[in-house]
Amino acid sequence: MSELLPIDLADLKEIPQEIITSVRESVEVTFESISGSRPEFHENGDENAPMNGIIGHITVFNSHHTLTLMVAIPRETALSISEVFCGMEIPFESDDMGDLVGELSNILAGEVAASVEQVGFTGQSSLPTVTRGSDLKLFMPNKPPTARLRFEGSGGGFWVNLALYESVSRK
Amino acid sequence: MSKIKALVVDDSKIMRSAVKRTLNQLMLADFEYVEAIDGEDALEKFSDDIQIVFLDWNMPRMTGVEFSKAVRKKGNTEHIPIIMITAEKSMGKVDTALNEGGANAYVTKPFTADQVSQVLSRYIDKNGNFLTENGDQGEKKSFFKDMLNFNKQ
Repeated sequence: MSELLPIDLADLKEIPQEIITSVRESVEVTFESISGSRPEFHENGDENAPMNGIIGHITVFNSHHTLTLMVAIPRETALSISEVFCGMEIPFESDDMGDLVGELSNILAGEVAASVEQVGFTGQSSLPTVTRGSDLKLFMPNKPPTARLRFEGSGGGFWVNLALYESVSRK
Repeated sequence: MSKIKALVVDDSKIMRSAVKRTLNQLMLADFEYVEAIDGEDALEKFSDDIQIVFLDWNMPRMTGVEFSKAVRKKGNTEHIPIIMITAEKSMGKVDTALNEGGANAYVTKPFTADQVSQVLSRYIDKNGNFLTENGDQGEKKSFFKDMLNFNKQ
């Protein structure tokens, strides 16, 4: 059980700032360790224009709560990341690009899991899934609290969307 | 210098390639690779001539730690170093892998060549020969335990 959160999230309007800060720092650390430069966090990251790109989806969960991370990476940023991570640009449409973004999400979730544990949310990460396409738009659910963080890295911008909800096992 | 047979286990092809590329770039030894996409596949491909294992944790069907436990349970495998290379970073996970899972070392992703080199220097001498008798493993595990305790404080 996480000490930070009530078991029942019905009255929780926002994701606790401690969790958002942990995720933000984890994103910065993860992308810095991969690319060598720290991405810049942008406060006003709530725009949600359709994107031509790829989204990595992974959760950090325990029996009570699930924190979902959606890493939304525009095509050009993804190509740039692939060059840094693999030493060569990977074709955007290839299976390898999906593999790369899945792995990137996995590394981020590992960092997030270790970081949110420090603020009282103990959980483990799931396996990642990846969605790729054009005109992609993430519709965040209305009921559970969500947050949208925007970053600008050396290879371009990207977003990390969060949603916090009760784990299915509790229903 | 004979080839060292390494089992590289990761559900990500990109990561398996990254591990192999790093090992080749380090030029500490000449490696021959067997690749597996998860713990179950690794267990099927595990043979008596595997000399070292590079192992991810979070994989479908069978996790890295489940694989590691299964290999240790086979018996007569204590001499085979199992190096976890994983995104799992919490100290509890490190503790589980090293003490319950039977792994010998723990490297977190994204790893650097230096980190891998440091770990490999325990098992491969400067001439690229594999040290079959890993008499220092107990000492290294103790080091990791000390590190865990230090980080917990």
